[in-house]
Order: sequence, then C-alpha cells, then structure tokens
Amino acid sequence: MKFIGIVGSNADQSTNRTLLNYMQRHFSQAATIEICEIKDLPAFNEPDSKIAPREIQAIIDQIQAADGVIISTPEYDHSIPAALKSLIEWLSYTSEAFNNCPIMITGASHGTLGSSRAQNHLRQILDAPEVGARVLPSSEFLLGGSLRAFDDAGNLVDAAKIHELERDFTEYMTFAQDVNQLIAHSSQLHDKQAVWTEE
Amino acid sequence: MKLIGIVGTNAEKSYNRQLLTFMQRHFADQAEIEILEIKDVPMFNESADQNLPIIQTFDQKIIDADGVIISTPEHNHSIPSALKSTLEWLSNDVHSFEGKPVMIVGASYHDQGSSRAQLHLRQILDAPGIDAIVMPGNEFLLGHAQQAFDEHGDLNNEGTVSFLASCFKKFLRFTNMVKMLNVPEDLKVNPGTYDVTAMGHNGKLPMSVEFSEDKIENIEIDTSAETAGIADVVFEKIPAQILSGQTLNVDTVSGASVTSKGVIDGVAEAVKLAGGDPDVLKNRPRPSAKRQVPPVEYETDVVVIGAGGAGLTAAASVLQRGQRVIVAEKFPSVGGNTVRTGGPMNAADPTWQNEFSANPGERTTLQGILNTDEATIDPAYVADFRLLKTQITKYLETTDDDNEYLFDSTLFHRIQTYLGGKRVDLAGHEIHGQYDLVKILTDHALESVKWLESIGVEFDQTEVSMPVGAKWRRGHKPLKNQGYAYVSALKTFVEQRDGQILTETPAKKLIIEDGEVRGIIAQGPDDQKVIIHASAVILASGGFGANTKMVQQYNTYWQQIDDDIQTSNSPAITGDGIKLGTSAGADLVGMGFSQMMPVSDPETGELFTGLQVPPANFVMVNQQGKRFVNEYEGRDVLSKAAIANGSLFYLIADDKIKETAYNTSQEKIDQQVEDGTLYRANTLAELAQQIHVDPAVLTTTIAHYNSYVDAGTDPEFGKNVFDLKVEQAPFYATPRKPAIHHTMGGLRIDTQAHVLNEQGTVIPHLFAAGEVAGGIHAGNRLGGNSLTDIFTFGRVAGKTAVSENQK
Ligand SMILES: Cc1cc2nc3c(=O)[nH]c(=O)nc-3n(C[C@H](O)[C@H](O)[C@H](O)COP(=O)(O)OP(=O)(O)OC[C@H]3O[C@@H](n4cnc5c(N)ncnc54)[C@H](O)[C@@H]3O)c2cc1C
Repeated sequence: MKFIGIVGSNADQSTNRTLLNYMQRHFSQAATIEICEIKDLPAFNEPDSKIAPREIQAIIDQIQAADGVIISTPEYDHSIPAALKSLIEWLSYTSEAFNNCPIMITGASHGTLGSSRAQNHLRQILDAPEVGARVLPSSEFLLGGSLRAFDDAGNLVDAAKIHELERDFTEYMTFAQDVNQLIAHSSQLHDKQAVWTEE
Repeated sequence: MKLIGIVGTNAEKSYNRQLLTFMQRHFADQAEIEILEIKDVPMFNESADQNLPIIQTFDQKIIDADGVIISTPEHNHSIPSALKSTLEWLSNDVHSFEGKPVMIVGASYHDQGSSRAQLHLRQILDAPGIDAIVMPGNEFLLGHAQQAFDEHGDLNNEGTVSFLASCFKKFLRFTNMVKMLNVPEDLKVNPGTYDVTAMGHNGKLPMSVEFSEDKIENIEIDTSAETAGIADVVFEKIPAQILSGQTLNVDTVSGASVTSKGVIDGVAEAVKLAGGDPDVLKNRPRPSAKRQVPPVEYETDVVVIGAGGAGLTAAASVLQRGQRVIVAEKFPSVGGNTVRTGGPMNAADPTWQNEFSANPGERTTLQGILNTDEATIDPAYVADFRLLKTQITKYLETTDDDNEYLFDSTLFHRIQTYLGGKRVDLAGHEIHGQYDLVKILTDHALESVKWLESIGVEFDQTEVSMPVGAKWRRGHKPLKNQGYAYVSALKTFVEQRDGQILTETPAKKLIIEDGEVRGIIAQGPDDQKVIIHASAVILASGGFGANTKMVQQYNTYWQQIDDDIQTSNSPAITGDGIKLGTSAGADLVGMGFSQMMPVSDPETGELFTGLQVPPANFVMVNQQGKRFVNEYEGRDVLSKAAIANGSLFYLIADDKIKETAYNTSQEKIDQQVEDGTLYRANTLAELAQQIHVDPAVLTTTIAHYNSYVDAGTDPEFGKNVFDLKVEQAPFYATPRKPAIHHTMGGLRIDTQAHVLNEQGTVIPHLFAAGEVAGGIHAGNRLGGNSLTDIFTFGRVAGKTAVSENQK
C-alpha cells in the first residue's frame, strides 16, 4: 500500500519529521510512505479563483494517487500549527483530496502530552463536512518527550512505544483498505459533495 | 478605554471586518477601537527571523491597549490559518497577550455563526504561551452574516445590536476587573542579607541578596568561577533589571542563558529563605516593555561591524591614525569568539625562541620538511620553500642532540600555514592558502605581537606555547585571562580614545549610494533604527560557525553535517558580514571548508564539560564500545572518523587519567555525573551498561588498549604517543561529538584588506578582516593562527581605510 506522510510543521527542526521518517523505514516492508513537507507552501488567503496553486496541486495529486494519509502534528498553543491548517484549507477549498480519504493522526511534542490537544483539534477539523476525511477512530499515537525519544540514527528507543506504533499502523492499514473498498462500492459516498463554508 | 480589534481573516471581503467596523462606530463614545488587519502577516515559522516589523507593531499596540476583541470566521470547524499564524507569532518570541482581557465575536454565512471556531479560539488563547484572559460566556455568534448588515454597514436587527451592546458593556467591566488582577502583589520578607548558591555556566556562583521589608535592596555575586568576559554582562544586567523593576520576570541575556537563569533562580531562592514568595516577583511585569524609539543617526570616518578581536584592532588603529570610529556590535558584550580562545597566537620570533631548548621530536619534524618532495609544493611557495630548506639544513648542521635550541623563522611559519591548509574536498578539488595573504600574515605576525604589547597586552615570556593543532611551538600567550586579555586591553584602548562601541546593535544593511558603500544601518536596543554614515566600512563580524544551515549549504568537505550539530562558537557568529559583503557584490572564497572540534559536548558544543585530557590519554570508543581511530591524530581526522561512526562517541578514562584533565574539578565532575552528562562506574562492565554498550566488547577494547600502552605501539590504529593505561577504578565515559569550530571560507580580500568583487576588483570603501574573510587558512586553520590573522589584518584594514579616506 502507498501512503503520504505529511509533516505537520514548517520548522527546520521537527521531531514529527523524525517520527515519519522512522515510520517510513520501519514499515517499509508493509507499505510505502512518501514524506510530504509543508515548508514553503503559499499561505491560504481565500482567493476568488478556486484553482490550487502549483505547489498545492502537486500535493493534491500525490494524495489522490495514494491509499491514505498520515499526518504528524506538533502542538502550537493547544492547536495545530497555522502552516498545517493552511494546507487543509487549501485542500478543502480547491479540491476533494481529503474527501473520504483514510487518515491516521500521529503527533510528537517536546513536552509530556505529545500534542494531545492539537490531535483533537485536527480530528474535528478533518471531520468538518467540507473536508470529509475518514479519520481512524479510537486510536491516538502521542509521542511525548520527543527530543529524547529517538537515538542518533533517528529510531524510536522505547520498545513499548514501538509496539504501540506497530499496532496502530496495522490497524490503520486495515482501516484504509476497508474505507477504500467501501467508497469504491458505494456511489452515494463517492458523490458526496464537499462544500466550502465561507464565512 | 483603548481597545484593539483583530479581523480574524486575510480574505478581501469579510463580514467579520464589517462587524468590527460597526462596533468601532457604534461604541465610539465608550471606547476607542483600533482595527488590525492580518493579511500582511506571513505564515508563522519558528525557524525564521522572529523580529518582523509587523509583529513588533502588533505586539506594541496590543501591549498598549486595555483589551482586545477578536472577530473570527470559521474554516473547517476551526479558526482560519491566517489568524492562527498571527497568534503563533505573538506567542513565540513576544507574549503580547499575557494577562490581556479578550472578547471573542464571530460572523459566518450559516446558522452556526462560527461557534466551533470560537470554542477552538478560546482553547488556543488559554495556552500558556498566549495566556490571555478570555471573557467567559457572552458568545456573540452572528449567523447569516450576508443578511445582517444594511447598506451603511450597520447591523439591521435591533435585538442583535442590543445583545452585542450588552456583551460589550460586560467586556468593559471585565477589562477593569482583569486590570485589578494584574496589579502586582506586594512582597513581604524578613529584612536581612541571605546567602545562596546559584548554578552558573561553569559551576557554583555564591550570591548574597539583601532585603528590606518589601524590597530587594542589593544583589552581590561572587563571579570568580566564571570565564572572564562571557558572562560579565549577565552580572551587570540581570541584577540591575531585577533591582530596578523589583521583578524576577526578566529576559535572559542571549549567549549566556544558563548563567542568567542561575542568577534569577538564586534570587528566587533568597526570597524563599527570607520568608517571601518568589512567585510574587515572577508574576510581576517585565521591567521594560519594548518601546518604540525614534531612529538615531551618526556620522563618522570609519564604521566597524563586530567588536571581536579583528574589529577592535581595526578600530584601535583607526584611532591611532587620528580618525573617528564607531564599532557596531551585535551582542550585549564585546569579544565574539576571540574571548573564547585559550590565548596563544603564532608568531615566529627566533631571537626569543632560540633561548629555549628543543623538544624531543622537533628535529624529526624539521627533517620531514627537508624530505618533502618539491613537486608537491605550489609554484608560488617554491622559492620560499627552498630558502627554508637552507635555513633548516644550516640549523641541523650546526646543532646536535645535546646542543639544540628551538628553531623558527618567518618562512617556516609561512610554509607550515600553507601545508597545514592544504586539503582536498569531496569533489577532489585542492585548496591552499593564497600566497600573498599568507605572506602578509607571517611577515607581520611578530609586529602584531609588539603592537598588542604597546596597547597593553602582557605576554608570558617564560614559555613558548604550542596551541592544539599548531604543529610548532611559536605561541605567544597572554600572561593572564587567556583570550579576554586581548579583548579587555583593546576595548579600554578604544574607549579611552573616544572610539564609540555600540553594543546590542547588529548591522543589518550596508548603505550603498550611487554604487558606493557609505555606511550601515543597524538595529539598536529596543529595535531602534541606527543609521551610521561613514566614509569606510570594515566588516569584522567573524565567521558562520553558529549558522548550521549556512555551513551545510556551502559544505564541500564533510561527508555529513547533522542538523543538530553543535558549535563551540558564540551564538552571534552567523555569517552576517559575509551576507552584507555579498549584498555589495563581494566574491567568496573557500566557503566549503569548515573545521570541526572533535571532542565537544554533544548537547552544547562546549569544551569545558566532561574530562578533557591530553591527547596521549585519549581513549575513544564508538557506540559499539570499539576504538575507531588513532586518538593522536589531528582535529579533522578525528572528526571525520567520528562522523563515520555515527558522530557520538565516548572518551574513556580511569581515575588516574581523570587527574590529567585540565578543564574541571572534582566538584564539577560530581555534578555532571549527577546530571547524567558524564558517566562513572566502579567497573568497566557497569560503565558499558550505562552507555548502552556490550560490556564484553568494552572490556576487550580496553584490555587491548592497555596492552598497546605497554608495548608502545598500536597495531590496530597506529597510535604512537601514550601515557597512562585505563586500570584504576572508578572509570569514566565522557560523551563527545564533533562540533563546528571554525569557518575558513569568507569574503575575498586583497593584501590591503579591500573586499574584492567577482571580477577581482576592489569594492571602494569596503574592507574585511578576521574570520569573515577567506583565502588564508584554506582547508584547515593551524591552531593559534586565527589570533595572528585577526590582529594582523585588523590593523591592515584600519590603516588602509584611513589612508584612503584622507585621499
Ligand atoms: C572555543 C574557541 C577556541 C578558540 N581557540 C583559538 C586559539 O586558541 N587560537 C586561535 O588562533 N584561534 C582560536 N579560535 C578561533 C578564533 O577565536 C576566531 O577565529 C577569532 O577569534 C575570530 O575573530 P574575529 O574578530 O574575526 O571574530 P569574533 O571574535 O568572533 O568577533 C566577531 C564579532 O562580530 C559580532 N557580530 C556578528 N554579526 C554582527 C552584526 N551583524 N553586527 C554587528 N556585530 C556582529 C559578534 O557578536 C562578535 O562580537 C577559537 C575559537 C573558538 C570558538
């Protein structure tokens, strides 16, 4: 299977990037994970034309060619970073890339909470009808103390944490398969219109 | 009452903007509402420059206001990214909303009127970095906004208007309430003087703090344990701020945050001892909220950028020639990397050196020069090389083992600088020092020593030192205070002759008029714009060792430079002068070559931590517990080997080797073991476990090493200089990683320190000296040559600038 891993931070240094890179290597037998950076994307500004800028279109194409998306988000001020929010706004404003797309949320933070509040916000945002994503329910991978969580080679050091991630990812793969099958067989779901709610 | 209204979107058309402008008009008799638009705020990025003018303006306006109203639309069940981005900027470096009363309103097309976004916004404003005080209840949700306004932009439904009016009235009362909450609490303590010990950068800082009943009256710190120079500003600034503001909510000094925190914590501890509550002081407002200050203009003959060794030297020589000078320095204290040096500077001074007898092995080094194949010497150096060979031959002929003195000559210094700098990069390109520059360096080295003496630097005449990586004993070392000796003498000299040093004033731009460099624009304290008009500009801002991105970007030498690599440099050393130079068309040379310090602290890049012992006692093992290199090799061989072994490695020592460490004390060692930054165990096997290495592997490695010490040779890696074995418990492991130490590349200059453009012609009125310039040290700088460089070319730059100004 093929997934896109979105690094939810535009910072030069991010343990969410490290986490996705780790998942990419660790699960390479089971799935291909392409890493997607949001670093130099244009900021969303609700333009009149609903045409995606080139950089956004490239991500839309990438997502549409994949079986699902993993988003790893840090937490800024109890929510997701503006840079990640901006990408989601672009996607829902100019495309249906996330509509019915199976999504797994992970997150790493330097503090102990592992971005829990940001993950909740992200769930609610992805659940908005105009986004319409299918987020893997009842699982959350929260990586607290992320500065010490990896060794020099960028591998997770805590065996319990690795086990948890393996369990979540396996569950996500099944989930993604099921969702994609369901969507393929249900014209009703397939046609669901994504509507951008303007202010 | 003065309020700020923030339009929560960057869209061209917005009902939230309309709602705020309506409130502005409708409530004009109750409050003045100034509306801020966020459409020019760029996307937040924590890695970018945090000093954006628009954010500074917003910060100031919010700090000055009594309260803030945010009107938010809803995008995907949350607030728009543009609003979130603005809040992120205002809660990272600055904390504009701290304790600020906030009212949330919102408008949307549909029934919900931005209800979910408002809930998210509440949670966001509650985050510790923002710490706003949001008015509870009173949710003003304007649904179906497209029908809510009449043609004048007024809300057309009376019920809605009166609900808004009632929310607004409550907000005004709420604002007054919050004001009371923010009134500082009184401090109550038992008067007296209390002694506490704070933790500084280098260990303990005994302090005594004197209180009257409700005030801190005095703070005294015993600073003898700290490195002279680096933390001085902390000891002046932090206590002054604490005393003047009667607050512990003070910012740390950049570049010395550990010591800053130590002082703040020490005072807090003293408050506790005196029976008071330190939180009272921590919750008080910061002493000086940023103020907008009008720009200031200066006019001078020469402006120097950077008050390190090169900059202060240039300034001193400008003053000696009777012209005026202003030095703009980025940091609160002067000295840059120069103050961090051990002090020895290279200069051949045969009359002095010949008084000392030769050391074992030195004859072999000289023999090695004679045996060097002339075909490997660059044509520019061949003539000097031949002359040097005659000098050496004569020395070897006229001396013998019993009657040997320390040899040296200017030519030997020159050829060693050339040979030491010769390197090949990853693509196979060879680099070596430019002959004309290396000639100036070595011909004028001794003159620089004499000049420094005339400025007031005292040198130790009793010993010729050899800095690490210097290859020969020709180091002149200040009698005391290491690198600080130069900086303090030069600073005093400059200030006594009315040279002006503006600290906390980084240069941001060159003033270029009609293609000519005419001065600089800098940023002073409180972000004041500082305009300095001058007939000449000397760039002396040091290298770019603390700018990892820049080192990575130009690197052509190292296989790999990790994003999290540390540096031994001052954090100010970010290549600013190189960028300023290229903005005027300067050419760059040798930028791909940087020097690593292999034995640096993995977390801080420093050399003061752990057990730093002489290389003969280095025992280096990788993360598998195996040796991986001849520990007696030079810096770049050790660094390359470490990087190939995953960067992190350990210096293993026993109790005897510990005694040879020159950087520490038992007290510091115990503290570091306790902190987990140094490992200690009673057996090698236990030590291995602590560093996650197979005990059997480490034990075998050390057994082999000990047998090589006995044999005097190392069949594995060829180490040939040994001292002690590793045998006496307790055993130590010091974690180490290579850190960026020096950048050899920089602006292309000529022998008169003019900056050259890509065509090789002089850029008029622009000069460079010190680590900011390239071409001299090429692929590898000899230890002790940097100081020679900065004091020599610093003088050259000052001299040329003055003589051209006089034309
Ligand atoms: C730990 C350590 C030990 C060393 N030991 C030795 C040694 O023993 N012998 C030796 O020869 N060399 C040694 N070196 C190298 C040597 O210290 C430096 O190469 C040399 O000091 C550089 O001098 P400089 O004047 O060019 O720059 P610096 O002394 O680094 O001064 C540059 C100054 O410019 C300021 N600045 C930067 N940007 C701006 C701006 N935009 N506006 C205004 N000011 C700015 C900085 O704050 C700083 O004060 C050592 C280096 C380090 C880091």
